[in-house]
Amino acid sequence: MKISRRNFLKTTALTSLYFAGFSGQTYASSSKKKNLVIIMLRGGMDGLCAIPVKGDKNFEKLRSKINLDRTLKLTSDFDLHPALKTFKSLWDQNLSAAVHATNIPYTGRSHFDGQNLMESGGKIPYQEKTGWLGRGMKTARLTGQGLALALPMPLLIRGVPMNNNYFPVGRSLPYPSTLELIQKVYKEYDEKLLNENLEIILTRDFNNRSSDDAWILASSAGTELSKPNGPKVAVFEVDGFDTHAAQGATDGAHADCLSDYDNIVRSLKSSMSKEAFDDTLILTLTEFGRTIKQNSSNGTEHGYGSAILMAGGLVKKSQVHTDWPGLKRKELFEGRDLNSTIDSRAIYASAMSTVFDVDFKKITKEVFWGENLPNLSDKLFKA
Amino acid sequence: MKNFFRKVAYGIGPNEDVPSDPLNWALDQLGDVPDLSWKGKIHSEKELRKHYRDWVYGDRKVLRKKYKDNKTLYKTHKDILRHKTGQKFWESLEISVRHNEGINSQHPVLAKLWMFWGNFFAISEKDFLANYSTGPYHREIIRPNLNQSFEKMVYDVTTSWAMIHHLDNSESAGPKSVTAGEEWRRRKKEPATINENHGRELLELHTVSPKAGYTQEDVIQLAYIMTGWQHRWSKQNLETGNVWFNSEYHQRGKKTVLGKEYKRGKKALASVIKDLVNHQNCRDFVAERLCRYLITDEPTKEMKQPIIDAFKKSDGFIPEIHKAAIKVAFEYNDKYKKFQTPENWLIQVAKLGNLQWPPSPEEMASYELGTKPSRKQRSPERLLRNLGHHPYRAKQPNGWSDHSDDWISPELLIRRLVYAKASYNFSKMENSKNAIYYESIVEKNFDNPSKIMKYLNQKNRAVEKHTLLFNHPEFLKA
Repeated sequence: MKISRRNFLKTTALTSLYFAGFSGQTYASSSKKKNLVIIMLRGGMDGLCAIPVKGDKNFEKLRSKINLDRTLKLTSDFDLHPALKTFKSLWDQNLSAAVHATNIPYTGRSHFDGQNLMESGGKIPYQEKTGWLGRGMKTARLTGQGLALALPMPLLIRGVPMNNNYFPVGRSLPYPSTLELIQKVYKEYDEKLLNENLEIILTRDFNNRSSDDAWILASSAGTELSKPNGPKVAVFEVDGFDTHAAQGATDGAHADCLSDYDNIVRSLKSSMSKEAFDDTLILTLTEFGRTIKQNSSNGTEHGYGSAILMAGGLVKKSQVHTDWPGLKRKELFEGRDLNSTIDSRAIYASAMSTVFDVDFKKITKEVFWGENLPNLSDKLFKA
Repeated sequence: MKNFFRKVAYGIGPNEDVPSDPLNWALDQLGDVPDLSWKGKIHSEKELRKHYRDWVYGDRKVLRKKYKDNKTLYKTHKDILRHKTGQKFWESLEISVRHNEGINSQHPVLAKLWMFWGNFFAISEKDFLANYSTGPYHREIIRPNLNQSFEKMVYDVTTSWAMIHHLDNSESAGPKSVTAGEEWRRRKKEPATINENHGRELLELHTVSPKAGYTQEDVIQLAYIMTGWQHRWSKQNLETGNVWFNSEYHQRGKKTVLGKEYKRGKKALASVIKDLVNHQNCRDFVAERLCRYLITDEPTKEMKQPIIDAFKKSDGFIPEIHKAAIKVAFEYNDKYKKFQTPENWLIQVAKLGNLQWPPSPEEMASYELGTKPSRKQRSPERLLRNLGHHPYRAKQPNGWSDHSDDWISPELLIRRLVYAKASYNFSKMENSKNAIYYESIVEKNFDNPSKIMKYLNQKNRAVEKHTLLFNHPEFLKA
């Protein structure tokens, strides 16, 4: 099938009806601890590699060398990359979904500027010194409840004090008796901030000697997110999506990166209690998608529209939410990229509104400078 | 007052004498730019850019095509090419040269200011700049300008290959330029448009700062003036060709920036830079940044004024700006103590502790191009990354923060704890036998040696004394 924008919207409606009966419990009390996890996919994630459109002959032709020869089934219109096994198993339980043909409103195709904007949520590169997530946490008064699995603190989560971070140094701390002396001298010199941070280090359960492998970071984060008084926000980073060459198909370079993402989700799922996972939302964030057409190195170039992968119990239902722009040349952005028909900031604002229990308008006002973004909470999440 | 030696430099090593006149000791270091004190080979920017070229050309034009169907072979051959071009080695060599200047040269104050300007005109992590080009940019563009005018510094930075590449000016083409009318643009649907990046940062980060109240139109107009300044592109060199002024990309007509008109052409860049550096907000911004680096997160008007005055009086002569800043740092030395960034801290640990750091010139000279560098040869790059403060890998063009709070997080604090402990492993043999090793460090660098010694003597083992000393609040700040 070669779907057009118009008949796709119809399909979406039918799909929604189909899933209505499976959506399960949607109630989420505001008193419950809810978690928001953002996984940054650096380098430009190819939404059409993760979630390829079905039966579009033109698309298949343009990607003759990097088409997937094996896919997992999602909907009548979209397939899933086989590396996303955990995502698929969650999909089957109504615990994962995607938004397709979406991106931040940035079309410059520079990693450098794009990554800054995806984190700051602004429109001019390097203008903002805080991240949209940090500002959202500040609005929700989530001080001391952020955990970055990174060193140093990513821009995304900046803007609220007392965030924790974990990125094992691979060495053991000095002896407790030495640390005690250091703590004492911090107090003597009235070094409040140093002391607060040392206090976090001494009371937290993280292993400083382990490696910084993504799955170790994820399982540590999962354990923390499950604690009633643990962090409510976690941030991950996955590099390597910039596949200009040997992007490959089923098991190419892009597949490896998608697999890295999938492993984080798997590790979070297995380390979190069921209750905690049910009250969690895990979203991806990338700077741009990639060109429709493969290049001569069997890779793809920097593009525009991409997809957001969503997982966790706060996902409303299994669905590919999209206002599909189509892949005909005239429907592409500048004749080469999947267009973005949904401003991804609307999705992140809706996610923060849902997870932080803050009015959507307040979020758009305080995080995105009053931008007129649609509230997608009811469509995408268990509000 | 002894914290002054760490405030404006890296402290006093155990084999050095404490200067009897600290202020003049510091001021005397600022007039000239001596040769680097590194005894090993130093490679030119052009030579290292050639390696950059070999890397991008080899990857993009050869390997990507050759191994397009085999990601494993592609990866293997990419790794071979990395080593052929020294990709994993140069930045460690550059950091060694840099740290050696702070630790072993006769001009540690100048070294600390050299590092300041490197971060002021930061080249952040982009493509392979850190691997091949940022260190040489610091040596060949920033350093020779430390006894020149600020205006010359800005011009040299703006037209350097590293900055042009870093801020995408080669991508900028005037919509009213010769190239705008070229047939291939119509065919490929690539209209000539400007890239504002470099223009914006020239205003925001390198000269007047947003306080000058420039508008988006000023940014656009400055970007127009800058159109044409680009690398000389060729099929052989790709983006690594020398910087030149390509008049075919230059926007026609006059431009207006901050109310002043500029004629078209190559010379307009120098004219606009002259005006920007003479703008009062530029002087204020430079003074603010210097005070923040040396003295406090929140500089006062009184602190900045002598630096602003020196800037104005000397027409932006950098040694005079430096001298004024050092005098202010001296005047406020006891009142303000600045939390030291991880790299500053590391260099001070190495200097005070008389550690085997950086790796010796002999160690670095034993590297052979084409091979994988040893752990030791890569240790500078790895250690600074692990400390979270690699000078060539800031995340944004505004460089690393000089606000203290940005350097305090659990993981960053853990790094201070574990690397203070690990620093013991870098101790020289002779020091472990030296009974007055700690006494000597403490006596030379702290005003209250008996209090600090009492604190250290709560532990017997040297490794613990290292940990305590280098995490003491009086050491963390200067």
